[in-house]
Amino acid sequence: MRPTKVTTKTNPTQSYQSQNAAHFYTRNVFSILVLLALPVGMEVISDVLQFIGVFVSFSIAYVAYRGVRRIHSSSLLRLTAAFVFLGFGFAVEGFVGLSQVVPNLPFSTVTVVAGLLLETTGYFFLAFSHALDVMMSKRIAVSVLIFPIISFSSAQLVDILSILSFYFVLYGVVETVYSYARTRKPDTLLIAVGLAMISLGTFVQWLSLLYLNVDVLSLLQIIMKEIGLLILFTPVLNFTVGRVRLDGTV
Amino acid sequence: MLNTAKSMNTEGNGVGVTTLLRKGNMSYSRMSKLLSELVGSGLLLELNGEKISKYMISEKGSKFLAVYYQFEDFAQSFGLRL
Repeated sequence: MRPTKVTTKTNPTQSYQSQNAAHFYTRNVFSILVLLALPVGMEVISDVLQFIGVFVSFSIAYVAYRGVRRIHSSSLLRLTAAFVFLGFGFAVEGFVGLSQVVPNLPFSTVTVVAGLLLETTGYFFLAFSHALDVMMSKRIAVSVLIFPIISFSSAQLVDILSILSFYFVLYGVVETVYSYARTRKPDTLLIAVGLAMISLGTFVQWLSLLYLNVDVLSLLQIIMKEIGLLILFTPVLNFTVGRVRLDGTV
Repeated sequence: MLNTAKSMNTEGNGVGVTTLLRKGNMSYSRMSKLLSELVGSGLLLELNGEKISKYMISEKGSKFLAVYYQFEDFAQSFGLRL
């Protein structure tokens, strides 16, 4: 008796499932590796990212400040203030993070709150610039509709600052998208995406304060913010590679 | 104002006050004040004709305008207006 020849046809559904499974395992293995690596290098990674944030913020502030000097623009002055505050905020947070790696650096809870306060002030100035822009263009109704009025009673100061930052940046996102609808400028859309990443980052930061046992949230929020900030760096790059140098000469 | 003085000066012999007034959409007194400020700062050149004065953008004005556009572009990227 001849053995029955078993023919195997490749089922497209099976192939798709196996590809999905491979993707699933690869992704999970990667996640596990990240989780294993987190406790060892997480603080260092967070600090490096914070200091990249400092560099990006001060770069944007510098270009905006050159604009203030050259053309005396109040919009650019507010943009300068926003990114100076953000830069100092990231710097303080970075140094606080360093104190966990280098034990001799003395930093208290007040310093953490101060860092967050600086960051929130930066986001406030960003939102404030948009609010003024809206008022000047007589779109006050839109501003009032979108800008939320929320009262906190018993929440902690750090939580309040984080959620305030989230709202400020979210407001910035809405206004930037509105501005894109008006100007149809690709750079503006890119900045809206960057701000959206930062707002997601601040939201995850707020979540990380609620779920203290989930270490990944802390790193995730910094990564999201950094991606957002690096996107915000695009106009600075455009400016430096453009016809006008940073000293304002053509 | 500088932009009008630059874009409307196609023949190279300057732009008259009437054109500037029409494009700028402002009163004569405000326009006169602005023109004297721009001429004083060297951004505009005043060409004195027999009857009327004409205005032309200077090299300094052109450079300023280029810088202005660059910063306007930068501010617009952030969704802001100058």
